[in-house]
Formats: sequence, C-alpha cells, structure tokens
Amino acid sequence: MQVFIAQIINGLSTGSIYVLLVTGFNLLLLVAMIIHFSYPQVVVFSMYITWIVIKVTGGSILLGILAGIASSVAVNLVSAPLFQKVMQKRGAVDINSTMVLSMGLGMIITDVLSHSFNNGLPISFPGGLGGSASLLRVGLISLTTGQALSLGIGIIVVSLFFLLLYRTRSGRAFRAIAEDPNGARLVGIPLVRTGLASYALSGVFGGVIAVLFAMMLGYASPGLGEQVAHKVLAVSIIAGLGNLAGGLVVGLALGILEAIVQGYISGSWSNAIAFVIMLVVILVRPKGLFGTRL
Amino acid sequence: MASNSAALLSVDGISVSYGHVQALRRVSLEVRPGEIVVLIGANGAGKTSLLESVLGINALREGNVTFAGAVVSGSSADRNVRAGLCLVPEGRGVFASMTVLDNLLLGAHHNMRNAQKNLNRVYEWFPVLAQRKDQVARTLSGGERQMLAIGRALMSAPKLIMVDEPSIGLAPLVVNDIFAILTRLNREGYAILLAEQNAYKALKCAHRGYVLETGSVTLAGSSAELLADPGVREAYLGA
Repeated sequence: MQVFIAQIINGLSTGSIYVLLVTGFNLLLLVAMIIHFSYPQVVVFSMYITWIVIKVTGGSILLGILAGIASSVAVNLVSAPLFQKVMQKRGAVDINSTMVLSMGLGMIITDVLSHSFNNGLPISFPGGLGGSASLLRVGLISLTTGQALSLGIGIIVVSLFFLLLYRTRSGRAFRAIAEDPNGARLVGIPLVRTGLASYALSGVFGGVIAVLFAMMLGYASPGLGEQVAHKVLAVSIIAGLGNLAGGLVVGLALGILEAIVQGYISGSWSNAIAFVIMLVVILVRPKGLFGTRL
Repeated sequence: MASNSAALLSVDGISVSYGHVQALRRVSLEVRPGEIVVLIGANGAGKTSLLESVLGINALREGNVTFAGAVVSGSSADRNVRAGLCLVPEGRGVFASMTVLDNLLLGAHHNMRNAQKNLNRVYEWFPVLAQRKDQVARTLSGGERQMLAIGRALMSAPKLIMVDEPSIGLAPLVVNDIFAILTRLNREGYAILLAEQNAYKALKCAHRGYVLETGSVTLAGSSAELLADPGVREAYLGA
C-alpha cells in the first residue's frame, strides 16, 4: 500500500508535466494549426537557459526561471514565421510540412545543446532548484517540494488556461479558430495574429514546464526532449488530437501508469509497457479515447 | 429609401481566380448608404466569391474595392471588419460548439468596448437569442441560427452588412421572417448587400439588383426593372 501511494504521488507529479506539455502542444495544433512534435525540445532548451543564467548570476533562481520562460517564448515566436512560411494554406492543419519543420528544429536544438554545453553530458541542477527537498516523509511515502510544486502549479496553470479560454476575448478567438478557421476569418478574427498569441502562450507554458522539470528531475540532457516528445505526441493522439480535456486525463494517466510500472515491475520497462498499452488503445479507438477535435 | 449620395461600397472591375478557374471577371457594382442591393445568380455564378472578395478574403487579380471613402482591397478581412464591413456567411457559419453568447461576442471581437450595449440591442431585435444565450449554437433551429449569424454581424457595429444566401435550407415561413428582419434593419439605416437565389423575395425587399452569371455582371437595374425583365423572369423567377 505504501508503495502504491508513493507511486501515485510520483505519477501525479510527472503526469502534471505531461498534461502541461500536451496542453501546449494541443494549443499550437488548434490555434496555430501546426504539429509541433519538437515542442518538448524547446522546453529542454529553456532548461539549459535557466541553468546558464543561474550559473552566470551566481545562483539567482528567480532570474533563471524568468530567463527560462522568456527563452521558450522567444524560440516559439522566432519559429512562428518559419511555420507560417511552410504551411500550404491557412485554415487547415498542414501536418506534413509543419511536422517535418518541427522535427528539424528539434534536431537543431538537440545538436546545439550537445555541442555547446558540458560536452553533451547531462547538466545538473544542484538540489533540483530546491525541488528535491523533502516536504513529508512517512515510511516509503515521500513528497518533495518539486513534486508538490509540479502538481500545484500544474493545476493552477491549467485552471488559468481554461479560464482564459472560456472567459476572455482571446480565448473565444482561440476556440473559434479551433472549431472553424475559415469561419473565424469570415467574422473578422485575425488568424495570423491570434496564431502568434498561441505561440507566445505555449511558450509561457514551456518555460513553466522547464522549471518544473528541472525541479523534478534535477538534470537535463540534450536527448531529453526527444524522449518526451514521443510521449507527448502519443498522449495527444490517444486522447484524441487537439482534445484539451482528453489531454488532461490521458496525461495524468500516463504519469500514473509509468509510476506504477516503475514501482511494481521495473523502471526500465515503463516506456515499453506504456507504449504497448497506448498501442492497444489506438487500435481499438483510432480517433483516440475522447475523439479528435480539429 | 435609397439616397443619391456617394456610394458606400464601390466595387470597380474586380477579377478573381482560383488557380486556373476564373471566379469573377471585371465585376463592378455599388451600394449607396441606406440601400438594400441584391445580387442574383445561380449556384456557382460567383456570388459568394464576390462577397468574400469584398470582405478581403480573396486576392484580387485586378480592380479595386472602395468602402466608406477608402480603398479596402488588399487589406485583411479583420481590418475590413473593423472598418465596418461584415459578412453573414452562407449556411449561417455559426460556431456550433460555442454558446449563443460566445457567438455574439465573437462578432464584437474588434468592438468589445460597446459589446454590452450592442448585445442589448441584438437581444431586443432577437428575443429568442436572449432566451438561449447559454445554449450551444448546435441546439438552435435553422432560422434561429440565421438570426444568430445576423445578430453576430450587428455586434461589430457595421456600416454595410453582406448576407450570403440567408434563405437557403429554411422553411418558406422562416424565409419570410428573415427577409422581414433584413428590411427592418435597412429601415434602421443599415446598408445591405444580399446574395440570393430566391430572386423573387429578394427583389421584393431590395432597392436595386445585379444579375451575376459565370462571374460577370450581365444586368443591373432597380428591383422593379429586374422584376419586369423578361430574361430575369425566365431564368430566375420561373415565369
């Protein structure tokens, strides 16, 4: 029972990060109409920026966090014109070209990181930015600051996001484009500018995820983004591409599933088992558990 | 009644192509303040292309569009909506998964400051929308959706409302309601450019009309003239 509770805590905190990742990914899919497969690489890039800034400023975590967020917003905004350039037409998701461009950007980021920092070896965040401090320990059950923050900030960010989506002018424009891009244009919603807002917002998400990741893992490596990218894409597809609510459920479920496998079988099998289960789900329900929303 | 003042909208010899298909050939027309102008034409004659081109959706190959004294061709649809143009799309174009209120507020995207005031006016016009404001649009009937689409257009405080085939797929009684609404809106001062296949009813409520055939204007005149024209009677009025 203790193992189970411990792993549920682990799973929820990792799942919270998956949820944020898949939400940012889905936002770009719905509003910017791109498949940003390498969105997690952008997040890892931000982890490196956070790490450098903390180093350079002699340990200022606050500046590191701000730089992390600013850098992923910047990467997203810089790549936006590239995506817009390769898209055949506005008004529909151009899966092929945007996916290829995204993978290219991801490879560039990965290579730049491995050539520029620490000889390509993982970098470590001492004390996980304070995230590895233990808040609570009862037998095998422990809760670290990083885990608590990951779950807490995850809930806050997702709630704020849904509030924005359903209570603001920009959110309404996001939803209109997600439902019918051409119809949105006919009523005067600017597709390009609203799309840019979604790049910026998913950039903010990315920065927050980078910090939470650093707290949870305590390290970053050039290849981390790619490992996570496969999971994010899988979660989005399993939930139903572009299905925001579905992404919440499946993101958390993947975190818990992995943690349970780690706790009872072996950590090295968690990826394989998770992907086998997801494969079965997609065979049974090709449009995802909750249906595609494109 | 139509005044003789300068045109509110003037379309000047515009041509539009989609790839090799030429949708519009040197089309010219104008709408003066306070007018209802109807655009008659069969399916595929280019009515929708024309309205969307005026709105700024399609790139023009030649010609230009002037609205309220400024050249608007070449600027984006959202900018033109801000300038006072708007389109009620064919098939209503409401966002089915969004609430009636959200649909209306989308129309106010560039005019949020007056949103509450305009919302109250739209609810006065269409009390049924006030009753259903929290329902998602997919639960509305065809006629209610058309009212929602018109109401959404009003939210942008337009100077000219373009309406694309409002009668399509609606029961005859509902069509009468919609035309009555358009006439009332016109009496309140809105200029209207209406594309319709239902030529008789449209001409009955319009001041003037243009006949569009395979992308060209083939005939123009007052509603009475068009209603009396033998060619129009044969092709569009089934007489």
